[in-house]
Amino acid sequence: MAKREIPEINAGSMADIAFLLLIFFLVTTTMDKDQAYVRSIPKRIDVPITDIVEVEKRNIFAIRANFNNDLMVRKELMQNPDDISERVIEFYTKNEKKNDPTNDFPMYSRISMKEIEDNLRAAEAEAEAVENTPNAMQDIIDFKYRQVDEWTNKRNALKLLGKPELPEIHFQAHIRIEVQQATEYKLFAKIQSELEEAIFELRDRAAQDVFGESYGTIQRRYNMDKAKLDKDKMDLLSILYPAKFIEVTPKK
Amino acid sequence: MSKFRKEDKKAAPGVNTSSLPDIVFMLLFFFMVATTSKESDPTVKVVQPKGLRTEDMTPYKQRSEIDFLYLGKPLNPGRAAKYKEMGMEYLLFMDNVAQSTPDDLYNVNAIRRWKLDKFESKPPRMSEPIEGVITCVKADEGAPSGMIFDIRKELQEIDALKIAYAVRDNGNI
Repeated sequence: MAKREIPEINAGSMADIAFLLLIFFLVTTTMDKDQAYVRSIPKRIDVPITDIVEVEKRNIFAIRANFNNDLMVRKELMQNPDDISERVIEFYTKNEKKNDPTNDFPMYSRISMKEIEDNLRAAEAEAEAVENTPNAMQDIIDFKYRQVDEWTNKRNALKLLGKPELPEIHFQAHIRIEVQQATEYKLFAKIQSELEEAIFELRDRAAQDVFGESYGTIQRRYNMDKAKLDKDKMDLLSILYPAKFIEVTPKK
Repeated sequence: MSKFRKEDKKAAPGVNTSSLPDIVFMLLFFFMVATTSKESDPTVKVVQPKGLRTEDMTPYKQRSEIDFLYLGKPLNPGRAAKYKEMGMEYLLFMDNVAQSTPDDLYNVNAIRRWKLDKFESKPPRMSEPIEGVITCVKADEGAPSGMIFDIRKELQEIDALKIAYAVRDNGNI
């Protein structure tokens, strides 16, 4: 039997095939990451609101922008939008160390561990009571349990903070963005950017203070391995400096 | 009588290209890993404004928990002129919208149907309810903010309660 050599496969066109694939991927994909600010839209309410709670002036940080792209922060005209973040930081920190009722900034409450635990127990008892009531509304039960969670979070936060009291900004304190129909998106985005910067700066300071590392580091590490400790750290920072933004729908 | 040997007419040796496919494949795999596929080719011009401290949308994209919406002037000058007459300078662009007429594509009213269609066509393993699916608005610098709020209103109606404002981040990372 004649020994025949197996003919070699010609691989010369392999490169061409690979190039073709490569070019296909180059064309159909993008390198740039999508960067954005995520915001929540309030849930639609079908029932008309009856009793509207009055919000104290000191708790509002209003940023207004008109059709001409003029900026107004807390009823004062502002030329340079870069100054917004400083004003936001001032808004959060003015009364942080000591409450001064004469100024126009939100008050802080300081709550001790004992008070938190008392409140937590009360909330738990209430939640149970509601759950055991015949035909209680599911919404109310959920609401009560959310309160329990809130107090639990506060307890964890204070434990992590390691101080006798947990400082908390007034629950009404918020930042509202009021733009008009024709305000350029550029300015709207700039406002968002400034707010994000201010919140980052505040939380970063606290993170350096309490944990000795930057907020950015904690965030990145949490995104990588979702550790419980980092979650607690981030919860604490967001309790200290909550990002409460309200975006007001412009009138037609 | 020559001291030098006459140079042979030798052909230059061919370059060995047997490793070329390997190199190209390596490049190919690099690009496959480092890039994400384009979600669509918008027909409106979008120049994003700059911003700092943004959130990266890539993880949401990988879990397909995000839909993109474009807001800008139409690229096609004819179309731009036509819509400008109707008082619409900035138009919406949604990818893969099941529209009945081409005009529908640019209308705020189409958002609901687009969003619900998109939600229906998501893979079944995705557990996120519609409230959790982000709608990312990529708007042009000059777009009126009022349109952003029109979009928000539409999303609120169908309980898609997460919106993202896209910007260009030159700062961190």
